[in-house]
Amino acid sequence: MIADDRGGAMNPIDSRLQDALDGERDPAELPADLRDAYVRLITAARLLEVVPPTTVADRVMAEIRRSPAPTLSPARRAARWLSRPRAITFRLRPAWTLALAAGLAAILLIPSEPGTLNPGEAQGVARFVGHFPGARSVEVVGSFNDWSRGKLHLQDDDHDGVWDGAAVLPAGQHEYMFVVDGERWVADPLAGRYVDDGFGAGQQNSLLVVRPASGTP
Amino acid sequence: MRLLCAVLLLATPLAAQDGGTRSAGAGGRSRERLEGRVPAAALPAIDSIIATAVAESLPTEPLIQKALEGSAKGIPADRLVGGVRRGLLQLRDARIIVARAVPTQPPPEGHVAAVAGALARGLSPSIVERLLTVAPTESPGPALHAAADMVAHHFDPDSAAELLVEAHNKGVHGVRLFDVALAADHELQRRGGRTHADALARVRAMLPNVPPPAPTQPVTRHGTKGS
Repeated sequence: MIADDRGGAMNPIDSRLQDALDGERDPAELPADLRDAYVRLITAARLLEVVPPTTVADRVMAEIRRSPAPTLSPARRAARWLSRPRAITFRLRPAWTLALAAGLAAILLIPSEPGTLNPGEAQGVARFVGHFPGARSVEVVGSFNDWSRGKLHLQDDDHDGVWDGAAVLPAGQHEYMFVVDGERWVADPLAGRYVDDGFGAGQQNSLLVVRPASGTP
Repeated sequence: MRLLCAVLLLATPLAAQDGGTRSAGAGGRSRERLEGRVPAAALPAIDSIIATAVAESLPTEPLIQKALEGSAKGIPADRLVGGVRRGLLQLRDARIIVARAVPTQPPPEGHVAAVAGALARGLSPSIVERLLTVAPTESPGPALHAAADMVAHHFDPDSAAELLVEAHNKGVHGVRLFDVALAADHELQRRGGRTHADALARVRAMLPNVPPPAPTQPVTRHGTKGS
């Protein structure tokens, strides 16, 4: 079925015309109206058989080559080179990819040893240990972190109730307390130095004096 | 030339206002740190206390820390303000002591803050002044904390100060003074029932060769280390 330009259906091609087009019938035998149709169809078919001398793409590229290239300064060319999006293709071997992923995971997930803390000249390493069996969290809050919560958490990886952690702090005196389970403020029983917190309830802060790692005053 | 005149015209009033803007800048920065953390009911009073400290050239950081500490602990506003005000009074007392002992004027803020901390730890003004006078240009923190550590371990305050002064005169300075206090404590804990006086005498005999601190150990399960 052939659709006409109005969207309606056209009649199937006449079998005699079809035979003539297929070379199975002499076109001269066709009636006049079919012979006209035969001639038009053959002419159209021959036109379609002729390959144009150049394709559209060839003509466009030739036009581009003919037009003069714009002259750009080296800086402009560099900027254009840098700003132009480019496809980058990675060809990874699965074995190397897995090794790289494992290495990154090790760096990100394995906690660094306290000994790896690197204090600057006017800094020192402070270590905190507390025994809080059954606690869900223990953090250290003090003058070194503006008494802000959530900055220095102690760890109890083996769940034995002993929480510990270390931090690089500025050399000098720092007051601090442990906050257990986010609500209970406790002085460090192992601090050895205490000072009244000054709020009139007789509560004491733990006192930490950090010696500079360089050993100078 | 016109540019030079314009710069001079701008610079003169700016230079004149420098002192004022410094005070206003300190106040503004402290307010930024306190807003949102200090209860609104306490903020005006604490602002006023900090402004007083700025006007008197006292260090403001201990006051800001006290306000942040009280807020973090959920201290009620009236007690929070009381704690910060007590801090201001300690800083004033400290400045008087520093001004007597240290010829530098105005007294260094670090000295004032360290002395206020030593007073809070219970050192008497006379002991503090004595330790300051020995090395007025050095940071007084280590000597004051070493003395406070010894007093906390029930050494006689005057004897402790005397030992630290002697140690300083024999070349033990700065954080090494902590080692003097630590050595006295170790001597006290040795077997044989030594008295405090015996322990001080033994440390005095070893000066200036007090043992250095033990090398930093990995995190232990037995104590908090910082000094």
